[in-house]
Amino acid sequence: MLTSDAIDAIIFRALAALNAERADDARIEASPATPLFGVDSEIDSLEFVSVITDVETSLNVDHGLSIALADDRALSRAQSPYDTVATLRDYILELLEAR
Amino acid sequence: MGDASAYADRVVVVTGARKGLGQVLANHFLAGGARVVGISRGETSIAHPEYSHYEADVGEDAAIREVFIQIARTLGKVDIVVNNAAVLTSMHAMLMPATRAEEMIRTNVLGVLYVSREAAKLMRKAKWGRIINIGSMASTLEPVGDSMYAASKAASLTLTGVLAKEFASYGVTVNTLAVTAFETDMLEQLPREKVDAVIAGLPLPRYPTTEDITNVVDFFASPRSSYITAQTLYLGGVHG
Repeated sequence: MLTSDAIDAIIFRALAALNAERADDARIEASPATPLFGVDSEIDSLEFVSVITDVETSLNVDHGLSIALADDRALSRAQSPYDTVATLRDYILELLEAR
Repeated sequence: MGDASAYADRVVVVTGARKGLGQVLANHFLAGGARVVGISRGETSIAHPEYSHYEADVGEDAAIREVFIQIARTLGKVDIVVNNAAVLTSMHAMLMPATRAEEMIRTNVLGVLYVSREAAKLMRKAKWGRIINIGSMASTLEPVGDSMYAASKAASLTLTGVLAKEFASYGVTVNTLAVTAFETDMLEQLPREKVDAVIAGLPLPRYPTTEDITNVVDFFASPRSSYITAQTLYLGGVHG
């Protein structure tokens, strides 16, 4: 199973892909605390879709893990798993453990 | 198009490819040099070295996710999708069983969403894609007996419009070809005299040929059609 660090790396790659399309002075710092969604996030809605899709595709295709990140469980939680890099990573770990 | 290399290097997904219009379109893209992936609930009916087939129900979310994961792993991309799979139960609304009504919504509407969603994820990176939905004259002619079928096809038109907006920034166009009655198993479910009467009332009162349909599919699929999205093109003079 993927480790926390490996999942962080997948999310950071998705953010790097995002930064590659942003101006130098508008790049997003990638850390576990980086907000992905909500009022604190610098990522707009289209960019958020790109990040989630990149992460999901990497898990599906590169790592052979058939999981969906936008499912009922994710959408019905009081605290969104998309809040930060760390909450997304923890949610992915939870999905992997549940498989 | 008639060009054996018109779709060279393209990966084309056709749903409902086992028979009828889907089979015609799959063979059309194969003749144009594409690698074609067919999806249908039944086993393949096409034997071609560039054709691969998945037995899956487009209305089943998990199954479609898995199909596209496999496509990503084996072919690496999707360029063109034709959402052709559809089911039809023609019956007076007072007699329409819930199971048949729900099946039409699941296949004809949700199936378009699931397939388009997964395809767009793969098209996004290439910033190029063509999604072509096969609609029906029923959505605008509203024939008696086709309440849920016509409603499902009308819903698909609205879906086309929203998906076109959401996918536009990725270079993915989404359009609908609304066909008149085509000679398929589906057509055989309808009273022929009723369909003949509908066709006779069209501005161009005849059944479509294969070429009538592939002509428009080629148009929507063309690289030259990058400025055409959210459109519905009706055959035979039907208009929305």
